[in-house]
Amino acid sequence: MPPRLNILSASRSIPYRRRPQSQWVFQPGLRAAPVQCRAYSDSNLPNDRSKKSSAQPLEHITEESAKTAEIIGNEGPDIDQGTPVQEVVKGDKQAQEKLPKVMQESLKTKLSGSTPKGSRSYSTSTTPTSGTRLDLGLVDMTPFPATPAVSGLKFEMPKLPLPKDGHVKHRYDDVVDQVTNLLMRHGRKSAAQRNMSLILQHLRTSPIPTVDPTRPLIPGAPPPSHLPLNPVLYLTLAIDSVAPLVRIRRMKGAAGGGAALEIPVPLGQRQRRRTAVQWILAQVSKRKSRGSGKGGLAQRMAEELVSVVEGRSAVWDRRNALHRVGVAARANIVMPKRR
Amino acid sequence: MSSSTCLRRFAKSSLERAVQPSIASRSLISPQASCFSTSAPRHALPTLAKASKGPPPKKGSTLILKKKKAPAKAAGRPPAPGDRKAMRKRIVLSNNNALEVAGLQDLKETDALSGISEGQVKGLPEDVVDALRAMEAFKTNQGWKLFRRPATLIRKETTELAGLLKQAEEEKKTVRRVFIGDRMSGKSTLLLQSLSMGFLRNWVVINLPEAYDIVNAHTEYKPLPGSHPTQYTQDVYTANFLSQIVKANKSILENTQITTNPSLPLPLPAKASLKQLAELGIANVETSWPVFVALWKELTQPGLPPVMLALDGLAHAMRNSEYLSAQVKPIHAHDLTIIRHFVDHLSGKATLPNGGAILAATTSSNNPRVPAFEFSMQVAEAKRYHPDNIPQWNPYKNVDQRVIECLKDVEVLKLNGLSKEEARSIMEYYAASGMLRAKVDDKFVTEKWSLAGMGNIGELERAAVRLRI
Repeated sequence: MPPRLNILSASRSIPYRRRPQSQWVFQPGLRAAPVQCRAYSDSNLPNDRSKKSSAQPLEHITEESAKTAEIIGNEGPDIDQGTPVQEVVKGDKQAQEKLPKVMQESLKTKLSGSTPKGSRSYSTSTTPTSGTRLDLGLVDMTPFPATPAVSGLKFEMPKLPLPKDGHVKHRYDDVVDQVTNLLMRHGRKSAAQRNMSLILQHLRTSPIPTVDPTRPLIPGAPPPSHLPLNPVLYLTLAIDSVAPLVRIRRMKGAAGGGAALEIPVPLGQRQRRRTAVQWILAQVSKRKSRGSGKGGLAQRMAEELVSVVEGRSAVWDRRNALHRVGVAARANIVMPKRR
Repeated sequence: MSSSTCLRRFAKSSLERAVQPSIASRSLISPQASCFSTSAPRHALPTLAKASKGPPPKKGSTLILKKKKAPAKAAGRPPAPGDRKAMRKRIVLSNNNALEVAGLQDLKETDALSGISEGQVKGLPEDVVDALRAMEAFKTNQGWKLFRRPATLIRKETTELAGLLKQAEEEKKTVRRVFIGDRMSGKSTLLLQSLSMGFLRNWVVINLPEAYDIVNAHTEYKPLPGSHPTQYTQDVYTANFLSQIVKANKSILENTQITTNPSLPLPLPAKASLKQLAELGIANVETSWPVFVALWKELTQPGLPPVMLALDGLAHAMRNSEYLSAQVKPIHAHDLTIIRHFVDHLSGKATLPNGGAILAATTSSNNPRVPAFEFSMQVAEAKRYHPDNIPQWNPYKNVDQRVIECLKDVEVLKLNGLSKEEARSIMEYYAASGMLRAKVDDKFVTEKWSLAGMGNIGELERAAVRLRI
């Protein structure tokens, strides 16, 4: 608990010395207070104390002694040149003791009148703190040239096209990023990233898939022998191949008799991929876990992706069923009238 | 049952019996039972709870919720006991999808201990791989399964160790080293490299794959008779250990005959080979420890090749084990005979007359807090790398003196990050294997090297090969 404040003792303990010249003078209450706020346009500064002599910094010892000499009438030291410390401490034994060793030695040599020795007792170069220089591996960290070649720019123009991972928020592959986020549960992104990495490792070590001709992959797909060496492409291909083109919007009661009218709605690329991944994840949850530990989900997911590419997965049926409904319901699409 | 009912029943049944014409005929129809018995209702089948409780609720009167669906059950039989663990612990050493690296040379007997291959990636020969696999030197979390065949980078520390091993071989000295370093800095891999160098130079190589497995009380133990203070043997573990030794060092053990006359509880044929001796211990689990002692004595006879003894996860061997003594006190790991054997050699109490190496690696992944051990490692590191600043133990804190004594004059080998040249070499190997799809140039190498914490090899692999974002 802090000690209680005693007003009486506090008033006693605060020293207040009146200066003789600052007598209290009666000031009328209506007297205009000194202008506290000044307009920007106002140029004169009433409260500027920087010009006062008390605000000036102390003069250098040389200047001071020069002034003193001027007052006395002697010829003082030359102000243009600084006074060496040796001259300042000349004849002052106490100050001389406090000088750096180097200066003390030089004073001694001057006194003894000997020539300076050839080798110094101290080093004039900096020594490295450790054997190896700390290399942080920073590349291309040369400072920018003072003036960029193109006028009107503060820095150099970036080299176009920008690198694929140039933007911090889009530095990773689109599909990998999206699937990682879809794998994430309870906000545990690092666990999702680990699972993603394990999935890609499984794809990389799994044998070359045999593609079912009745379940063709998207046109332009590379030959299956290329897939295990490029697991990101493998993943992308599996997802894009089963991604549905449309979703079915059900308009309540619009078909008559209380039935919903099914209207196919096209999906964007990201939406299509999301749907495909969710279908795949639903299949994965039905798969039996064979191992234990952390890699179980990743292994099942990788197996499902392989089965998608090989055309064995039930996700294909789901996609085909949806597309069938979409084709049947395409008459329900009402195109906006052209004016 | 209340007593009044019993009395009434008693009276009633005695009346009934009087009415019945013959007891014999009645006993044929129904089983005879004492009138006091309660066993019949007790043994009767429990009455089933009524399936339906009245009529269903009227429509509109009650909220009808949807029935919850049971989660879909996986079809088929679950894996057999032990299968899941086997799958988790499986070691895969090749990836058929990875490309064959042109110009990848094997580590050879002649250049294994010379430093000429520093900074290069070298393949491990097949017989060495088999021996290492038998020794359980490969770990599941290492990246062997991504490449065509096992290969390692001969880094600066490997060359340093190779120099020591060469010295040990030539001068019949005992090298004692503990590998320390950051997480994923390659301590276990360096241990594996030194084991493979030992195999290539025809040393007797013995490896305790994981100290944790010895102290975690998963194998049976019993006191060693005649030991004071009591030591404990782990017979099943020792038998398995002997079989690993036999598998890995088959040719040496087959071609060496017993010279001493060990006193064993079981008879041994005359002029038996060391392999036969070891197999005696494998077949008779309870004699495995005396057999191991006899085998070790044989291996240290003059004229035999140097011995390499290695252990991973040293910190676990420096604390109380999970075992309990008869007084229900924890048993110190140094009281387990296998650990004691290793620790005696590591501390320099016992030496190898034919020369050899006692190597241990610390671990950072499954790392227990052992203050005495950590302090000893700090002291050893300071002695080696900055001898003017050696830490002092806080005198007001208790310390495990056994650990301090054991590690008093042990030397350490610290694994730092790779240099950029080494990083480039290993990344070129990654790219040649087809596991890294990028142009390996200075900028790329430097970028990954920096991202990997200035060349931590595990992080480098993670960033370059494992696609771990």
